[in-house]
Amino acid sequence: MFSKSKIFITLLALMLIASACGGSAPTAVSEEPAVVQEPAAGVSTEAPAEMMDVSGDLVIYSGRSEPLLQPVIDAFKAQYPNVNVLLKAGSNSELANALIEEKANPQADVFITTELFTIQSLAREGIFASYSPSGVEQLPSEFRGPDNTWTGLTRRARVIMYNKDLVAEDELPTSIFDLTDAKWRGQIAAAGSTNGSMQAQIAAMRQLLGEEATQEWLYGLIANEVTFFGGHTDVRKAVGAGEFKLGLVNHYYFYLQQAEGSNVGIIFPDQGEGQIGLITNATSAAIVKGGKNLTAAQAFLDFLVSPEGQKLFAEQNYEYPLLPGVALREGVQPLDGFRLADVDIAQAALDFDATFDLMERVGLP
Amino acid sequence: MEITRANQFSLQRLRTYPISPRLAIAAGLVALFVAVPLVYIFIRALGAEPEAWQRLLQTRIWKLLSNTLLLAAAVTSGALVTGISMAWLTERTDLPGRKIFRWMLAMPLAVPAYIGGIVHLALLRPRGGVIPQFLESLFGQPVPTPSPLGFWGAAFILTLFMYPYVYLLSGAAFRTLHASLEEAARVFGRTPMQTLFQVTLPALRPGLTAGALLVALDILAEYGTVALLRYETFSSAIFVQLSGRYDRSAASILSGILVALSILILWGELRLQGQARFTQMESNWRPAPLVALGKWRIPALLLVLGVVSASLLVPFTVLLIWSIQAFLDPQTMATLFRTGSQGFGSYVWNSLWSSGAAAVIAVMLSLPVALLAVRYPSRFSRFISRLCQVGYAIPGVVIALSLVLLVNRALPFLYATPFVVVIAYVLRHMPQAVRASESALNQLSPSLEEASRTLGRTSLQTLIQVTMPLILPGLLAGGSLVFLTSLKELPATLLLRPAGFDTLAVRVWVWAGEGFYFQAAPAALLLVLVSALPLSFLLRREQIFK
Repeated sequence: MFSKSKIFITLLALMLIASACGGSAPTAVSEEPAVVQEPAAGVSTEAPAEMMDVSGDLVIYSGRSEPLLQPVIDAFKAQYPNVNVLLKAGSNSELANALIEEKANPQADVFITTELFTIQSLAREGIFASYSPSGVEQLPSEFRGPDNTWTGLTRRARVIMYNKDLVAEDELPTSIFDLTDAKWRGQIAAAGSTNGSMQAQIAAMRQLLGEEATQEWLYGLIANEVTFFGGHTDVRKAVGAGEFKLGLVNHYYFYLQQAEGSNVGIIFPDQGEGQIGLITNATSAAIVKGGKNLTAAQAFLDFLVSPEGQKLFAEQNYEYPLLPGVALREGVQPLDGFRLADVDIAQAALDFDATFDLMERVGLP
Repeated sequence: MEITRANQFSLQRLRTYPISPRLAIAAGLVALFVAVPLVYIFIRALGAEPEAWQRLLQTRIWKLLSNTLLLAAAVTSGALVTGISMAWLTERTDLPGRKIFRWMLAMPLAVPAYIGGIVHLALLRPRGGVIPQFLESLFGQPVPTPSPLGFWGAAFILTLFMYPYVYLLSGAAFRTLHASLEEAARVFGRTPMQTLFQVTLPALRPGLTAGALLVALDILAEYGTVALLRYETFSSAIFVQLSGRYDRSAASILSGILVALSILILWGELRLQGQARFTQMESNWRPAPLVALGKWRIPALLLVLGVVSASLLVPFTVLLIWSIQAFLDPQTMATLFRTGSQGFGSYVWNSLWSSGAAAVIAVMLSLPVALLAVRYPSRFSRFISRLCQVGYAIPGVVIALSLVLLVNRALPFLYATPFVVVIAYVLRHMPQAVRASESALNQLSPSLEEASRTLGRTSLQTLIQVTMPLILPGLLAGGSLVFLTSLKELPATLLLRPAGFDTLAVRVWVWAGEGFYFQAAPAALLLVLVSALPLSFLLRREQIFK
């Protein structure tokens, strides 16, 4: 049989571990401001009294992946030391589903997405409270939700990145339709059907080109043995490592990979006559109606739209800030010189369901 | 995990006391609690719009069904072949180092399959993996290596981390099977090989089939590994549906079908489980003679070493190296050890307390069910006991979906609290607690309880003062098992965690999913180490580790 002492030793060990590890954790609510992160340049280090007044838990649902959002949250917490930010990151639609489910029992204060169609759809469902963050009137009007239900934050472009060691300049693709060319068979990485930016690209293409052509393109990608990852970090790393020659990504993934020292290049596709133009989208944020901490949520949105917040997105993530006058990070090619695809956001949001149908029918991984 | 012993006492039932209504009600309530999410999913699935059914029937269901069943069949056979051969080599041959191998072959149970998958993927990924890149730099050109992606990769990796279930069952069986059976076969002129295939294995069949079906159920529920290796099964498809359109009917339909499939397998397992009594009378048991491997010693040793390396040593070493690299990199360290709800300590604490609470609750709830089933065997009590085992057949993602919908409607104050996560663990892992409690009670003679009743104790006093202390080791075993499997649970935690509540498993998944392997490694390593503790306690209870 067993020996009793062994059981007790095991239990004791478990309890010791539990207490050792738990010692600091359960009091997580009381954030020590002593360890605030280095505030970004231009952010005043001293928190004025009204900022100390904003306090409590701030629950953020974010479709943006955690590493890309964390620096901004850290800077926000440096300004509002009494706010305890609780972050749940996932895919846009997973969290959108949660918000719909929670409509009568809201849990989140703020929702952040990587594209505009999800947030626009939710706004139509009456999930969000209206709010105009200070300075929002300077943003281009197409990046503000109806009745101020949501606010655009930063713009990003869908580009092709390539590994310069493996692809010569003269054979570069110039259009996303070149990705279905058999000469790239098995050499392309992209994000799959659960990724918000990819979903949004397909939704935009549906509007620009129609169902048929988009379906053809998706079948073409699959036939060309494109490898679909769950997210773009895998894509950029794989292209950087030479695992793939080409990757279909948001523009900043190229810059992030370049910053890691990889020999990679960027193509802003579809600039020629008769081509669809560069597909862009924007990250966005909204305040959830009925959330428990409206003051903190408003402070957070104000911060995201403020020059400091916008500068952080531009500096840390190489994105295009929507607030005029905020400089791009050095080396980032401005969008002004490109022909951009013109997408009606409200219409694309209405058709989003059909986009999911399409991806499902095609069997996009 | 534990071999069901011959039910020595069930025939001498308590006749003096009729079935206690209080006990029956308690057990019935437990069964109700367990059954509600299941029933709810069926209602949602059947209530979905015909259009959604049609769309899925036309596009997804058949492909998913064949994918899922193929993988389950492949992994189950792989686990059977690996598990039985490893058990035979360590129990019945003169394999060098077999005592240590016995342990090492069981320890992969402490490694969640998705963590093993993350490691193997990093090593073997076509072109980008460590091994392909090393070979390329060695030979100056790409060398084709087996890919861990897709069907074969998923089958291979899941086999590596599932075979221990079969290994433990067959190891115990090889150990306890009466030597005289095999001796008789040898006397009648069978070679050792013929004896193995004609006598020994058939004698073990019911128990092994039951074990194999449990592996199949695990495969149906598996999310992390198949998602990682990009092989689509029902579980991962449900997850994709949940992060796709804003409509949960498709996910409900897929869940309904998956659960129906699982229940079929569970039904088979429960039928066989009753026959799994290959433990013979202990009185004149003697060990079977060892087979001399002779010139096969070295190949056999290499084979066992290969299995142990792939399923235990390699993942462990890689996690260790990554962890060290994480500790050497100040930036990774800073992200790892943040303050507050994003700190490493908080993940560890969340993992431990939620799994611990699930273990305690599951064991407590299992008691009335087990008491009723063992002490008052009847159609009703058997039904209740079986109902409490459906957790095996409800994959984590389905429990999560069901709870999200149910709790938000019926118990909104509980919604988005960590307790929902705990409830999911309890529902999912209740069967293990029920089985452990039943097996412990089976080994306790009712005459002790009768004596206590005769001496004037009430039934509740008897339970607390007599029964509970005597079956405590069995209850602890059940609790450890629930704790162990809850620690590893991924899909339910991912879907149900409130903002700010992260466990080790979730952090490993999120970080590795973002490609931050070094950052994920310390959490993964700790998860493995914490799982190893209750596991080694459980293993010490098993025949083959005494």
